[in-house]
Amino acid sequence: MIQVRGLSKEFLGRDGEGTGVLAIDSLDFEVRDNEFLTVIGPSGCGKTTLLRIIAGLIPFNDGEVSIDDVAVTGPGPDRAVVFQNFALMPWADVLTNVAFGLEIRGKPKAECEATAMRLVRLVGLEGFERRLPKELSGGMQQRVGLARALAVNPRILLMDEPFGALDEQTRRLLQEQLLRIWDRERKTVIFITHSMEEAVLLGDRVMLMTPRPGRVKEIIEVPLKRPRGQETEKSTTFTEIKEYLWENLRSMQVLDQRGEA
Amino acid sequence: MARNKVKQTGVMSDWSLRIGVFILVALSWQVSAVFMKNMLIPTVTETISGFIQLVFVSGRIWQPLYISNQAIVLGYILSVVIAIPLGLAAGRVRWIDKVLNPYIGVFLAIPIAPLIPIAITALGLGLASRVAIVFLFTFIFITVNTRAGVRNVDAGLVEMARSFGANEKQIWHRIVIPSAVPAIFAGLRIGLGRAVAGMVIVELLLVASGLGRLLLEFAGRLQADFVFATVLVVIIEALLLLSAMRFAEQKVAPWAHDSSME
Repeated sequence: MIQVRGLSKEFLGRDGEGTGVLAIDSLDFEVRDNEFLTVIGPSGCGKTTLLRIIAGLIPFNDGEVSIDDVAVTGPGPDRAVVFQNFALMPWADVLTNVAFGLEIRGKPKAECEATAMRLVRLVGLEGFERRLPKELSGGMQQRVGLARALAVNPRILLMDEPFGALDEQTRRLLQEQLLRIWDRERKTVIFITHSMEEAVLLGDRVMLMTPRPGRVKEIIEVPLKRPRGQETEKSTTFTEIKEYLWENLRSMQVLDQRGEA
Repeated sequence: MARNKVKQTGVMSDWSLRIGVFILVALSWQVSAVFMKNMLIPTVTETISGFIQLVFVSGRIWQPLYISNQAIVLGYILSVVIAIPLGLAAGRVRWIDKVLNPYIGVFLAIPIAPLIPIAITALGLGLASRVAIVFLFTFIFITVNTRAGVRNVDAGLVEMARSFGANEKQIWHRIVIPSAVPAIFAGLRIGLGRAVAGMVIVELLLVASGLGRLLLEFAGRLQADFVFATVLVVIIEALLLLSAMRFAEQKVAPWAHDSSME
């Protein structure tokens, strides 16, 4: 279980001292084992910052972040991140990119390769093992990013708007693929998104955040049965939750605009 | 299939354009040289026959070319061996960069030619001076490019590596150095062109040897066709070296061929 208690994060001002920006303000929530939590909020709500803190990539000012009662102090083998801009090494082929995490963790070469091959197959990139990232479409590149994260067999998958840079059709296909994989290999997932459809379609719960500073507005249960797919989006529950999210996000945006003016 | 075809016609028209421009330049050169009747400016045909004479018939070019290339090879290798580690260190370690930065500025700003007499006073009229000058002409560009390559490493990739638990050494080897390779090659290519220039300049200005000496000799005897032919040899050598470098780059770093330098 991931526990976040009273988490605050302030980014320092340009001079490296005070008068910084409070990105996250006393955040409290938990993520259950094998739960799929989606996080949505307007830009500036600190959702990416939150993910990077849980990943152990940046420090925080106040509060506690723990995984199974162990405090997070840095990156760990229990977690893997899928990045919005894919973060693939342009000089390395698909297989090498997928094997990267394993190699960093010092696994023997044969094992790295075998596992990477299995993951390449899992995300449907067979035949592209020796291609460079620039030879792949955006959707294929993110499948490499997903395979790389899954290759280290993390218990927790941290996904930072992973499909945000993709077009609508690719995004849908990847959502379906992610759900299929998640159904087979259950993991705890924290999934940041901008898209209301995506938040409801994927999440067991949707965490709604407010901007400047980032706070939890509400955590909404999504009582839609799994496996989910195209049919899910036609249900009234789906539409209702989506509408509810939109009302909330809309009022935040309106407030935000007034605040800026 | 269709895409290949388009690509091929693209390459074809590239080449026909190049050849067309070349013919145009050569023609106007020929015509103006004929009309000016200036004995110091040879025609295209005279230059080409001089070239054939020097390279194939008398073979007078080869010995000076060999001498000149000693300086290029040694000076350039010295440059690469010193400049790449220096650039890597400056790009990675803050205090090294702070210490080096003013000197890098100085070397970028000053013209090298005035340093030639100093090098000769210090190192004499032999090979050592010529090597030193080629080194001075070259190393700063390789250093600066290497440093830029290290500095411009994609922060997202570094973060990705850290998320998998990579330590500083792993980040350096697996992310930073590979990222810097294209920029290093850009520096190597600029440096190569400068090395050829540096060699000829030092030979012309002070240490009369190799191709520079040959040029002075031809110029002294008003053999304009041979002067031009020798310059042609230098140009051809530079082009050959550059395309060899490009070939090496495509082999080593096929992911990021920088076409802007072609």
